[in-house]
Amino acid sequence: MRSFQRRRGAGLLAMLAFTGSVILVGVAGPVAAADPVILTVGTTQDLDASNPFNTELVVGYEAFALTYSLLVDFDKDAHPAPGFADSWERSADRVTFKIGSDRKWSDGQPATSEDVCYSWGLALAAIKDESYIGSGYLDPGVKDAGVTKIECPDPNTFIAYTTDPSDRVFQVYVPILPKHIWGKDDYKKIAEETFDAPLVGTGPYTLAEWKTGQFARFVRNPNWWGAGKGFEDEVVLRFFADNTDTMVQALKAGELDYAHGVNSDQFKQLQADTATYTTVAGAANGWTQLAFNTYGTGTGKTIKNGGASTKALQDAAFRDALGYATDHQALVDRVLGGFGDPGDTVVPPVLTDFHVTPDNPRTFNIDLAKQKLDAAGYKLDANNKRLDKEGKPINLRLYYPNTDDNYKKVAQFVAEWYGQLGIGVTHQSFDSDTLTALLLPPEGDGTAKYDIELWGWSGSPDPNGLLYVFLCNQIGTSSDSNYCNKQYDDLYAKESKEGGAERKATLAQMQNLIYNEAPYDVLYYDANLDAYRNDRFAGWQNMPANGTPFFTYGTLNYTLLTDATAVPTPGPTVLATAGPSGPAATQGPVTGGTSGGGGNTTLWIVLVVAVIVIVGGWWLYRRRTAPAAEEE
Amino acid sequence: MSGRYLGRKLVQAMVTVFAIILLNFVLFRLMPGSPDRATKNPHLTAAVIEGNRARWGLDKPLFPDQLVNYVEETLTGDLGYSIKYRGQPVTEVVLEAMGPTLLLIGLGELIAIIVGLALGARSGWVRGGKVDRIGNGVSLIFYSMPYFVIGMPLIIIFAAGLHWFPTSGMTSPGGSKDLVASLFDVGRHLVLPLAAVSLGLIGAYSILMRASIIETRAEDYVMTARAKGLADGRILRAHAFPNALLPMVTLIAINLGYVVAGAITAEIVFTWPGLGTLTVQALAARDYPLLQAIFLIIAVSVVLANLAADIIYSYLDPRVRS
Amino acid sequence: MSLTGVAGPEARIEGLGPAGRRARGFLERVLGRSDGLVGIAILSVFTLLAIAPDLLAGPLQTIVTATGKPLEPPSAVHLLGTDEAGRDMLNLTIHGARISMTIGLMATLITIFIGALIGVLSGFVGGWLDNVLMRISDFFLVLPTIVLALILAPIMLDIIGPEAEFLGIRATLIVIVVVIGLTSWATTARVIRSQVLSLKERMFVDRARVIGSSSFRIMRRHILPNVVNLIVAQSVLTFATAVFTETTLAFIGLGDPTAPSWGELLNSAQSSGAPGLGAWWYIAPPAVSVVLVVLSFTLVGNALDDVLNPKSAGRR
Repeated sequence: MRSFQRRRGAGLLAMLAFTGSVILVGVAGPVAAADPVILTVGTTQDLDASNPFNTELVVGYEAFALTYSLLVDFDKDAHPAPGFADSWERSADRVTFKIGSDRKWSDGQPATSEDVCYSWGLALAAIKDESYIGSGYLDPGVKDAGVTKIECPDPNTFIAYTTDPSDRVFQVYVPILPKHIWGKDDYKKIAEETFDAPLVGTGPYTLAEWKTGQFARFVRNPNWWGAGKGFEDEVVLRFFADNTDTMVQALKAGELDYAHGVNSDQFKQLQADTATYTTVAGAANGWTQLAFNTYGTGTGKTIKNGGASTKALQDAAFRDALGYATDHQALVDRVLGGFGDPGDTVVPPVLTDFHVTPDNPRTFNIDLAKQKLDAAGYKLDANNKRLDKEGKPINLRLYYPNTDDNYKKVAQFVAEWYGQLGIGVTHQSFDSDTLTALLLPPEGDGTAKYDIELWGWSGSPDPNGLLYVFLCNQIGTSSDSNYCNKQYDDLYAKESKEGGAERKATLAQMQNLIYNEAPYDVLYYDANLDAYRNDRFAGWQNMPANGTPFFTYGTLNYTLLTDATAVPTPGPTVLATAGPSGPAATQGPVTGGTSGGGGNTTLWIVLVVAVIVIVGGWWLYRRRTAPAAEEE
Repeated sequence: MSGRYLGRKLVQAMVTVFAIILLNFVLFRLMPGSPDRATKNPHLTAAVIEGNRARWGLDKPLFPDQLVNYVEETLTGDLGYSIKYRGQPVTEVVLEAMGPTLLLIGLGELIAIIVGLALGARSGWVRGGKVDRIGNGVSLIFYSMPYFVIGMPLIIIFAAGLHWFPTSGMTSPGGSKDLVASLFDVGRHLVLPLAAVSLGLIGAYSILMRASIIETRAEDYVMTARAKGLADGRILRAHAFPNALLPMVTLIAINLGYVVAGAITAEIVFTWPGLGTLTVQALAARDYPLLQAIFLIIAVSVVLANLAADIIYSYLDPRVRS
Repeated sequence: MSLTGVAGPEARIEGLGPAGRRARGFLERVLGRSDGLVGIAILSVFTLLAIAPDLLAGPLQTIVTATGKPLEPPSAVHLLGTDEAGRDMLNLTIHGARISMTIGLMATLITIFIGALIGVLSGFVGGWLDNVLMRISDFFLVLPTIVLALILAPIMLDIIGPEAEFLGIRATLIVIVVVIGLTSWATTARVIRSQVLSLKERMFVDRARVIGSSSFRIMRRHILPNVVNLIVAQSVLTFATAVFTETTLAFIGLGDPTAPSWGELLNSAQSSGAPGLGAWWYIAPPAVSVVLVVLSFTLVGNALDDVLNPKSAGRR
């Protein structure tokens, strides 16, 4: 089961692209000097859990990463950086981490290696039981890193023994929890905790208040030992459940400083006003795909009363032909508004070290697709319906989650294109839970009653985070194509132990294998569209360079923000004497905010005035004529 | 008032509530994937799944054990566990959302009753006059508009355009605020949703009041008063208005429940953190236990509103009692 | 807001007097009233749009066949602008008329059928059957349509499955129709029942009985014709409620994304951020259409009601 959660975590990370962060500007009037500086970040997700093990949403990752440090953090290029641990040393079978002395939790208790042993120990215990913690997104990272044993010889030293010398041990996304608070919980019990605010952490800001469905507020951790110290005293994550419109309006009104996950039209509008906003189209480490239900491939198994509606989906030649019928560039242009990249292989280009383009790329060509189908033995009948080899017309069921409006649009395109091949497509959206249940084959207590799944994944800094999905042993857990290929499994095992150019070569082989066999049609690599205001905070950095400032790996940028209104004399400025007091070199927040509406605002003001005049006139008229009318 | 009348109404209300609970029970059984959804969900903790099992008594026969069990649990306020909110008790989740909804609807009703009744009385009294034609026309238009259709332009104009009010939510997060500041803050957020809700209701109430006043105007005592040469405005205030108000009491009470249901869409547009927003989220996640609880609460509140209407009416109109 | 609650079933039940014999001149009298005339005029326009959308605006545009760029403001090419997928708003609004009004019509038919059946049965047969049926209708009268629909619609959708189609209509739409029908018949049943009750007391029924007509014959020959006008008036008001409910349900997200009813269009407008982008042309056409249709049905319904109702009609 666990990988399904993980898988969705991936999808969710992609959705994360849909959340926004915002900084709250105008809490009514001039800010008194004593008021804390608040950074308000908007997202379209609604925080589901403050327990790190139970969240399935990107916003949940952001929330726990603010509160809790990772053992190894990410720098601005998403490379390993000091986190809970200051330094580390890699040897053949282990990594020795050093944790600084005098480190303290936000409540003043000492932070030591014992906390790491406790937190990683939870994951190891779950792995040992072949179980998972909570939603099961976090603990598999420890397994994937090949960690077999951990030790805490002294308060400043933590040792992790690994099966292979890979770097994945530095990317384990397990938050270091305070043992003095949760220590009595085992891995089962910890998933039952609600993690009520306020929380004790070692991150730069700790959760102080959570209003379900509205916002989560984080206050500065006085004992934060990281290098940077953000200008903001508090961070507020505001939730706009699936409502980009309200979120963007809040950004324009200055209620938000940062919006995560705006849509392409909004993005373009904000982009036009460079004085007020900065827009970032960050490449997501993930994609949106069509996953074909290939159940039976490589195993020969069948499902009673379930499985795909036609055996054609098990035929690589059939799937290959379909690959010529989807115009990836058109999807990027028409569905994503031009943001994002056409998809090919299953390692996103954002992982520049590992991505390869396919050796035999398919290009959009409906006629060629038809020819390939004919050649593979899928003929048209008299009614122009494509028949499978059993002589049955092919009608494919395309399912997608209701979490993202783009899926709906993609589905319409796919239905149109496949329709031109003589293949019927019925498409339908589901809530994530229902869809997940629908996809599961018998191995996961389901019947895999679907033909094509349209959904997304997003991964970790290491390509394995996405590549494991195609392993045979993932059928029934995270596999949504039910694909199984011994050769691929062997390559995966091989590359996991390799490094450098060797690994790169194996990965290229795997990417081509999946591309040619086509259990997936990777449609596009998503983009994260974020926007932030320029008027209150400066010091924004994209992390990594082609990513976004927030909702990325780690929370570094929160600690780097500075006061945008400060006169460029560096030095300890007193807290915000905010308001448009500074030299008006940049922009007045209010006019800046409205300018997004442009001419429309004027139009509306005119309308309002007109309405007031009419209503007022009517009122006066009424007052004057009423007595007369009553005489009647 | 006659105890028998009250007693009969009470019994009726109880039967209805019971029927609603029964319907809920049946609906849960009809749900796809039921009851696996609530008991095999890996996102729920063991304790919650155990709780769900207990609620549904899954190892016992459907009837009577499971049904009795279900009714019992429901009556004691245990409505099961939310799927979307990671196994939080549904009762807690719903109660948290009730406050904002009550605030919005309560104030909306209040404003709509005052303005709507006044406007309706005015219109109906001088039927065909300027006030009537314009007032009734505007009322009809608002009456034909779903709340969200009223709300969208309000946001475009007053929040996104003029920045007079916040676009969404109920509070501005952050900082410690004193009571006055918090009230002011909620107030600012409340203005637009409140306007949407009350505009829609004003339309409805004004139309009803108008009809009621027109009926009253034709009554003998009004005619008599006119014949006696009483001032028109006085007849309206002293005689017609109070009498026309009588049927309105019932209608307003009955309407209360519908308003809660309809205001859902206003809440969605303004992301007001009440039952409406909660409903949509429960819907998107197919969180059936939560949906059921919302349904139960709204339905029961409608039944109670009806009961209240009957009781009030019987006080106001002695004929009903006999 | 609930039309049901507001339309106030009780308000109409009393005072609905003998109507049957007034059938003649009935339409003229409705048209003779300004509200009736305006209502019927607006309705005729929308009915035309709904009957032949393809002729007027070409086939329904999808994202695949869209003719414009995303969110173009109104221009000579796109009179009402385009939506976020580049589809022509005029095209969508006109096709929306067909979808919204078809759903409204079908839901009305179901509502009226159930309502009339139960109302006539209940009123005519009386006794325990009347009691049982009226308790049931009390129950449905109390439940707010939208809330019941909210819980029924997803369940039904999940049960009958996504691929289901009836007569080429997608399951989602059927579900909306059935849900509206199932949840709003009670008002009609009440109104019809009281009319039947009063008819039953009439002389001609007694006379028919004396002659020896069967109950069925009495019902068919004497009762039904006399409630037809009432059914028509009731249908018109029900139609307004149905369109209103459909719009709300679709806006909340229970509509069919491939069949853009007005509510569905407003839903996409909201979710694609049209209000904030100032794309008023994306919101105004469907919103105005809904308001006009609901308004005109209400006007016509009220006019019919007044004409059928001697107590309030003609009083000035």
